[in-house]
Amino acid sequence: MTEEEIREKIFDIIAKEARIDRGTLTLESKLEDLKIESLDMVQILFGIEDAFDVYVPQDDQSFKLATLKDVVDGVKRLVAAKQQSA
Amino acid sequence: MADHIRVAVTGIGSISSLGHNVGEIWAALEAGKTGIAPLTQVPLEQINIKIGAEVKNYDETKRFDDRELLVYDRYTQFALLAAREAMADAGIDFKKDEALGLETAVIVASGVGGWSTIDQAFYSLHKLGKPRAHPLTIPRMMISAAASQISMRFGLKGPAFCVSSACSSSNHALGEAYWMIRTGRARAALAGGSEAEISLTSQRSWESLRVMASDTCRPFSKDRKGMVIGEGAGILVLERLDDARKRGAKIYCEIAGYGLSADAGDIVMPDADGAARAMRQALQTSGLAPGDIDYINAHGTGTQLNDATEVKAIKAVFGEAAKRLMVTSTKSMHGHALGAASALEAVATVKAIEQSVVPPTANYVAPDPDCDLDHVPNTARRAKIRAAFSNSLAFGGLNAVVAFKAV
Repeated sequence: MTEEEIREKIFDIIAKEARIDRGTLTLESKLEDLKIESLDMVQILFGIEDAFDVYVPQDDQSFKLATLKDVVDGVKRLVAAKQQSA
Repeated sequence: MADHIRVAVTGIGSISSLGHNVGEIWAALEAGKTGIAPLTQVPLEQINIKIGAEVKNYDETKRFDDRELLVYDRYTQFALLAAREAMADAGIDFKKDEALGLETAVIVASGVGGWSTIDQAFYSLHKLGKPRAHPLTIPRMMISAAASQISMRFGLKGPAFCVSSACSSSNHALGEAYWMIRTGRARAALAGGSEAEISLTSQRSWESLRVMASDTCRPFSKDRKGMVIGEGAGILVLERLDDARKRGAKIYCEIAGYGLSADAGDIVMPDADGAARAMRQALQTSGLAPGDIDYINAHGTGTQLNDATEVKAIKAVFGEAAKRLMVTSTKSMHGHALGAASALEAVATVKAIEQSVVPPTANYVAPDPDCDLDHVPNTARRAKIRAAFSNSLAFGGLNAVVAFKAV
């Protein structure tokens, strides 16, 4: 899966779960500014785990969720780690 | 003098990750020992959060016969064991006093009831494709099964039912039982709650909510990561204070008030205003002033948000008096037993008053500026407790606070 595919998929999930116009999402968007509610965030993480078949650790400090770039980078890392262990 | 009927606590019984009876449990609470450990009821390779506060070394076949086990889900077993201990402790034989039995209520809470029975039925029908369910599936799983079995076992024929309000369930049960006696609708009551939902389905579902800690439960502490699921039961025998005195019963303390409220906010996020209203009502119904309360057994789940919100609510209600309050969360030791949580905490609070010892907040690492009350970290403290609150602030914004007072 290319970086672009990962990014597109993540944007799809965030737009759907948080009911945000997908066209407004950029890698620089801050999650805080998007005003994503806690239950929506939980659903986004669930959507990511489901789509990429990965586990997003509950309290992994390296998985920072400040901007959408952080989310994409985090997922890329999890996907790479999964491919390595496979 | 109260202008209403006063309600005494004359018997307590409990089972949890800390022990199979109140003696064992109190010894652990006093020692600041935690019951949190790797889970045994769920295959660890199938879950990500691998810890919980399970009832340990429990062999159901040593506690109940085959016939009983056919109809008792694990949650009903816990409720019956706690009820049996509480009854023996109170020293009332309702079968000998039929008139009293007719006026004795049974209010036993649970968050989900016979979860393992439901889980098994689903598994065998959906997954294994079995053509039929076990005939006792319904009587085992129903959320009121424990209330029914306790009333049957002890011959209690007054009002009997289950209340369910997620993590506040047991405080609602204790509060309603208290209110029934206070208003003359019952003469005595067995009240509390039971929960046993640790399973693959519940654990994975809690994981997905992202409120669980993977290390341990550290309420009010900096770097707390969330809650840890527990299980168990707690049952209290309540009766009219004048009756208890007349029969020369051992009186632990009284339940002096009860406050309840709803946030009408969010299904998972707590609200300080809702919690504060419940605490204010507990003060009002008990006739206690903020300065009369020495100890709060907090809801204290160990999530970032709950603990900070609860502290904010306590400060709003107690003002200056908050500074000399001791506020601990025993969930750090017995975990979060959900519908049974406030029953386990009621037992801890009653013992704390009786023993003049405040059970600590275990697993505490360092202070959090948002939780700056006296959380009695890690080591129990000897202190006279004139009155105490036990707080419950459930998911869905259902709050219940029970006020206990030394007699």
